[in-house]
Amino acid sequence: MIIENILLAFAEITTIKTLIFMMVGVAAGLIAGAIPGFTIAMAVVLTLPFTFGMPASQGLATMVSVLVGGLSGGLMAGILTGIPGTPSSVATTFDGFPMARNGEPGLALGIGVWSSFIGGMISAVLLVTLAPQLARIGLEFHPWDYFMLVMFALTITASLAGKNLVKGLIAGALGLLIRTVGEDEAIGMARFNFGNDALLQGFDFIAVLIGLFAFSQLLSDIRDPAMARRSLAERGTVHAKIEHVRALKEIGKRWTLALRSALIGVFTGILPGAGGSIANILAYDQAKKTSKYPEKFGTGIPDGIIAPECSNNAVEGGALIVLMALGIPGDVTAAIMLGALLMNDVVPSPSFISDEPVLAYSIFIAFFLATFMMVALQSFMLRVFVLVIRVRMYVLASVILGLCGIGVFAINNVEFDIWTLFWFGILGFLMRQFGFPLAPMILGVVLGNIAELNLARAFAMTSDLTPFVTRPWSLFFLIISVFSAMYPWYQAVSGKRAWTRYYGAVLSICLSLPMFMMGGIVRPIIGTALLLLGGFFTVKAIQKQAVA
Amino acid sequence: MVRINRDVVVAVVLLLICGIFFWASFDIRQPDYGSLKPSTWPRAILAVLALLSLIYLAQSLKGGEDQAEIDDDKPRDVRGWFSYWRNIFWCFALFFAYLASIPMLGMLISGVLFVFLLLSVLGGWTWRNVILHAGVALLTVGGMWSLFTFGLGVLLPPGEILTPF
Repeated sequence: MIIENILLAFAEITTIKTLIFMMVGVAAGLIAGAIPGFTIAMAVVLTLPFTFGMPASQGLATMVSVLVGGLSGGLMAGILTGIPGTPSSVATTFDGFPMARNGEPGLALGIGVWSSFIGGMISAVLLVTLAPQLARIGLEFHPWDYFMLVMFALTITASLAGKNLVKGLIAGALGLLIRTVGEDEAIGMARFNFGNDALLQGFDFIAVLIGLFAFSQLLSDIRDPAMARRSLAERGTVHAKIEHVRALKEIGKRWTLALRSALIGVFTGILPGAGGSIANILAYDQAKKTSKYPEKFGTGIPDGIIAPECSNNAVEGGALIVLMALGIPGDVTAAIMLGALLMNDVVPSPSFISDEPVLAYSIFIAFFLATFMMVALQSFMLRVFVLVIRVRMYVLASVILGLCGIGVFAINNVEFDIWTLFWFGILGFLMRQFGFPLAPMILGVVLGNIAELNLARAFAMTSDLTPFVTRPWSLFFLIISVFSAMYPWYQAVSGKRAWTRYYGAVLSICLSLPMFMMGGIVRPIIGTALLLLGGFFTVKAIQKQAVA
Repeated sequence: MVRINRDVVVAVVLLLICGIFFWASFDIRQPDYGSLKPSTWPRAILAVLALLSLIYLAQSLKGGEDQAEIDDDKPRDVRGWFSYWRNIFWCFALFFAYLASIPMLGMLISGVLFVFLLLSVLGGWTWRNVILHAGVALLTVGGMWSLFTFGLGVLLPPGEILTPF
């Protein structure tokens, strides 16, 4: 059955038209990722309007291609100009730029490209193998469990909040509020339309995303007149030819580092709220700590490029595992991918892979193919990149703003949507200026209706609230929601307050309870292990306190 | 005396928004069917938002403006303020004009004009720039319009001028 689905999906993806769209997507992603100030999320969100007329598998394959291209594009700018194209490639510049300056730009690019490929491949394999298993667990979920799962995802806003926790949470709540405008999900009653009929349908999700994210980012990029008239080329460019064979030999000598970094990337991607920007630094840091020559890091050594590039490409595989299996986006790009699925009338949920196997496997295969295309296109796109970075920032921003209008209108053929783009562009810009992070708001917009729908379903079954704590999965998510919401507080005072020593221990002990409630053989064993781990942590904490 | 800072103003605006939405939530029709009332979920969100806004207000009154967000380059006088935000004002104003003119001029003409004017305002009005900007605007918006109209079969607003054609 799985083989049959894979073959069907393969047939769907490998049409000439889809492959061409994917090639264009990878190329566009590579360029978008390479331009500092243009994020991967922005590239993916701007691709959405183009995919609306395509069949679901073709549209999603195109978006996955932009994503894969974007993840790898950042390395070109980072290595050649020293300015990371995306936050995911910050650590690549630490050794990539010095290596290029030392006269080896071709080798640095080669190592970056092939490390990205290896990271992408490892995460693609894990995506195909792990996502269906995780989805099987998800099939046990009832509305109470699913509501609590969404609540858990919303607590991620706390970790996405950055410096100011309250501002992050406010942004998340505003996102939820925006989603309530229009007819309600359960019974279709008009809400907050203030007498305006156009608002009955609510704000178009894509217009809101493009406005909040892309529009406001472009405005920030051109605020300074002098910066707006500058091009990247003025900061220095190196012409280079990618050295594939030498790069592969260098990576081959360090295959354990590549594998370890990719696994760090996948794990970071699975963790909600942690994306490529964290993974590349984490992987670089562990590479340095475990290296026999840590003092050489920063001088232009291959290890310093392999670690961040393997990990940042592996992140999206991890984020897609959770998105495809549970329907919960772990980061902003995954949230936009969720938007793309919703646009194609596909609601990601635990039953998604079993209900729509061909579409699900199409996404898996697209991820694989796009990773191959990324390597094939890098050499050519390097030449385009050199041309693109000569274009001045204000030209790019003005053209993209103009095209946003056409793209957003084309989604529903409704003029109101372009006004939505405009108003949310202003809102996004103001929020950026006032220091409110936008990522929590986007998660709020994406998850708002899913949460309400499941709450309505739960209430339709019974008005009793106890299933939220008596159902094992609901209790499980309730516990991790509480601990996730408290995490930034814990992080801020870790080591300074006595209670922080018991944080891990209490979490393990609490989580063992729903595991025992689930019954069977394996889960109570996991529960026992968690209980023992909690006990071990408690003893360690008491010993530490006694020493202090 | 407590000094009113930007964060205090934002917090008060947020509380006002909460108040308006809460008041508007009484206009939501409550049908006899369905066990979760259509106003329950928005009111729960509003309660959380109001609570967070109050915490934000208290933080801003107690600790002053969020220092991490203050840009030292920002001018304090009105003239400098307009000059600082000049590009942003132009962007919003031209985008507003672009949208407002679509019913009359259509998506193609409005789009080309918007991109051309924005390019020239941001990049300067030299003869060389004007020719270059006109070319860029025509090629990009025209290309995109053609792709959607002929390639994807989307009917973009023709406007009153192009409707007869």
